[in-house]
Amino acid sequence: MRKKLFELYPEPIPTFDLILPAVRDWLDAYRGSLNDFLSNEDDWLLVNRDLNGRARLILPERIKESEQRKLWDSLASNLMQRLGKHAYPQNDEILFETNREQALQGATSYLVDGFTNVWIVDRLATEANWARIAPETESVPRIVFFSIKGGVGRSTALAATAWSLAQEGKRVLVLDLDLESPGLSSALLPPERQPMYGITDWLVEDLVDNGDVVFESMVATSNLSHDGEIHVVPAHGADHGEYIAKLGRVWMPKLRADGTREAWSSRLHRLLRHLEDRIQPDVVLIDSRSGIDEIASACITELGAKLILLFSLEGEQTWNGYRMLFEQWQSAGVAQQIRERLQVVGAIVPELDRVGYLAGLREHSYEIFVDTLYDEIAPIKKGEVGPGPDGAWQVGDLSEGWSFDEADDTAPHHPWGVNWHRSFAGLRSLRGRLAAIDAQEVDSVFGALIQGVSNAVDWRETS
Amino acid sequence: MAAECGLKRLMMKFGMMVSPEGTPKERYDREHVDKIWARFESYRSGSVEGRDYGLPTPNPFDKWHASDRYAHQSNFDQTGVQLHQAGAAVIVELIKKAQREGLLV
Repeated sequence: MRKKLFELYPEPIPTFDLILPAVRDWLDAYRGSLNDFLSNEDDWLLVNRDLNGRARLILPERIKESEQRKLWDSLASNLMQRLGKHAYPQNDEILFETNREQALQGATSYLVDGFTNVWIVDRLATEANWARIAPETESVPRIVFFSIKGGVGRSTALAATAWSLAQEGKRVLVLDLDLESPGLSSALLPPERQPMYGITDWLVEDLVDNGDVVFESMVATSNLSHDGEIHVVPAHGADHGEYIAKLGRVWMPKLRADGTREAWSSRLHRLLRHLEDRIQPDVVLIDSRSGIDEIASACITELGAKLILLFSLEGEQTWNGYRMLFEQWQSAGVAQQIRERLQVVGAIVPELDRVGYLAGLREHSYEIFVDTLYDEIAPIKKGEVGPGPDGAWQVGDLSEGWSFDEADDTAPHHPWGVNWHRSFAGLRSLRGRLAAIDAQEVDSVFGALIQGVSNAVDWRETS
Repeated sequence: MAAECGLKRLMMKFGMMVSPEGTPKERYDREHVDKIWARFESYRSGSVEGRDYGLPTPNPFDKWHASDRYAHQSNFDQTGVQLHQAGAAVIVELIKKAQREGLLV
């Protein structure tokens, strides 16, 4: 793991990135006392980092008036001294709550290594925390097209994949969730086929229980494929209306009459289930917003995707971005829940030296997968594999883990290449191109991607 | 009374203007909990910070009046009291949530 910059300075002034290291140091320093104080099954301690990035402790209510209170005050005070401006003032260093589940509500939390009842709790101003990973949905396979940077041909590749799967006879449902930069639907639908409404309209109408009014008029069928069907749900309708005013409201949680809430991403998931029930697709292709964004978080972590395609251009910006995401999954302890669904796609691979370019992409991709998502597998110990006392070949207790060789072409880090081709540069012209070209031409550009997606869909059908 | 104070503390966070002494500037905001419940919603729904602080409807204090504070015990009915307790509990939880999130200290 690379060394963090602040680790190189002997006594840095605490900033946000030093909160968790300081908390870990404090936990290590008082491990014995903390374990003594938290020895009962119903004891717990939360280290709570609030919306402003200030940290304090949350403890069970019964400690408030107990003999332990003084000791906890002194421990909390010691922690606060380590946090600088990120500490709570004296007398506000501890919150007391009757119920741990209640105290964890609406936050990301994870158990601290080496403790059975100490949690780090994080509260964000956005819904997106990237660390709540929904399990893969058991119904229709959902494939998410994501890129850390925009302008890498992601939507074009999605349109070509939709076309190709439909040509195989599949019923494909396509969602344009790049709400802040929509465009996919114009690649698949001529203007006269654009539906009246889009996803943004539904998300706004749903807030006032009016979603049904737009639901039946938000899907259109593309005329590109003759053997299968492509059903397209655009970001907005033929007339975009007050798009910016609507977009500013799609993130709203829905408040029910009893005061409970449904997050915007849960509302989106509900819409997706309705669409699947209505259209009965064989596969759903989702065009996600690029970057570390609210919509992208919903697409990648909350919609139960079977396959998440990570479009990548070779370069530091790409890998720094993916590293941030992977490290978040690693530190939140959720890497295992998502890593098997990831697949790197080499976007717009240049015409010159394709092999060399893909090798460079693979090398850098492998580096971050090894650092963050692949398991470390210990070397085989002496005597674990080899002839036994009776002379027969035997294999002992080998260390197991989820990891791949750099050259393994089935590995998620091994890029599926999408080749650059002048006729596919630019999404706007795609409708005309797909209507006129043959499968062979599409295959020469998008072959590896289409084959990979097709295998993922077929694997689900056969299993 | 406590429910009323709790709501007003949050209303200040969601944009209610107060004088230096802490009195709400708007006359409509100097009401008791039966009226403040609706005023709270006006501030909450207009504030990004307030989007997760919704109150249930209908207002459990709808039939309560400030003069009820001095009513004889024989005039209390159990259903009404339970309704008010539940309303107060909702506000307590909102205050605790605001403390966990750092909106209130």
